[in-house]
Amino acid sequence: MKPRLYLALFFIPLGLILAAVPADTTHPYKLSPNDLLEYVNSGMQYFSPDEVADMIIKKDPSLVLIDVRSEDEYEKFHLPGAINIPLSSLLEDQWKDYINQDLRYNVFYSNSTVNANQAWMLCRQLGYENNYVLQGGLNYWVETIMNPEKPAPTSPDEEIARYNFRKGAGQALGGGAETETSSQPAPELPKIAPRPQKKRVQGGC
Amino acid sequence: MGPLVVNEIISQNTNFFLAFLIGIGFGFVLESSGFSSSRKLAGVFYGYDTVVLKVFFTAAIVGMLGMLFMSLFNWIDLDLVYINPTYLWSTIIGGIIMGAGFITGGFCPGTSFCAASIGKIDAMFFIGGMFLGVFIFAEAYPLLEDFYMGSFRGIPTLSEALGLKDGLVVMGIIFAALGMFWVGEWAEKKFPREGY
Repeated sequence: MKPRLYLALFFIPLGLILAAVPADTTHPYKLSPNDLLEYVNSGMQYFSPDEVADMIIKKDPSLVLIDVRSEDEYEKFHLPGAINIPLSSLLEDQWKDYINQDLRYNVFYSNSTVNANQAWMLCRQLGYENNYVLQGGLNYWVETIMNPEKPAPTSPDEEIARYNFRKGAGQALGGGAETETSSQPAPELPKIAPRPQKKRVQGGC
Repeated sequence: MGPLVVNEIISQNTNFFLAFLIGIGFGFVLESSGFSSSRKLAGVFYGYDTVVLKVFFTAAIVGMLGMLFMSLFNWIDLDLVYINPTYLWSTIIGGIIMGAGFITGGFCPGTSFCAASIGKIDAMFFIGGMFLGVFIFAEAYPLLEDFYMGSFRGIPTLSEALGLKDGLVVMGIIFAALGMFWVGEWAEKKFPREGY
């Protein structure tokens, strides 16, 4: 019976200590201007087009694309599955449940990144978590996913793999890259590296 | 400062190398403590040997306490630690299938490789079965996709789901674990089996 007693006497006090210390209060609700600047410089709020394309193709339910452009522009073109929350109406009550949630990754996008970043910054200062920005906006999306540029044959393997992924993804998402390859069998979608970690909003460590 | 990989203190490759070393150590300990015997694993279900339950629950407690204390000392940022997303129904069904595999095969995925490495033929068949299952799942994926991806519940932790502080949940789990150890040892006395 001895070892069991020692085990219990070892674990129970440690558990009691953890139960007694106050919950983690080191993470501020609102970032100070300096923290925010550091955050923006590190680019941690961005999802790259490759990540987003991969998630769309895999039908990852944790992704919510939010188009912050006007309704007209949304009607003309939007990414598959995106919802439309024009920046001007972002703070209306009807959208609150979308932008203030702890379940999914919201990825804002606009034509460039300006409006999406504004939406992100508003949300960040309101203390809403899980909001991100599509890196480079739709312009960069079209450039990288819809019409990827073929790398030189001497490029490193990663670059060629990335090109192949983008070409496949562009075709799967209805891009313009198909003319060149329409005679080839439908390309398998190569995997991009999965997100190595849960990307959560935090300042420096 | 932690997690080491996320904060780029060590590279992804170093991480794989460390995982490789830890994996070897894990396999060695599993084998040397007799986990490569399928009777040991089946014992959990029949109640005559609950070592597996005790070992893995102890590991969970040690890991849990370690993480929270390191967080308390500001050595690791728990918000950057990967948490498996919850897909409720696919997890439940997957758990049932895996449990059925445990009891019929007498191995869990880790111990099957341990047992195969010391030449147990049933373990090799078990591994073959695992690959067969993976293959069937992959081939049937288009049929299963809606179910597999459905019932997504985000990445909740127990404490968030219960609305309690991490520390309180930890203490509760420690008491639950000690209670389970006690029940396990009671079961071992209740359903003894000689020379398994």
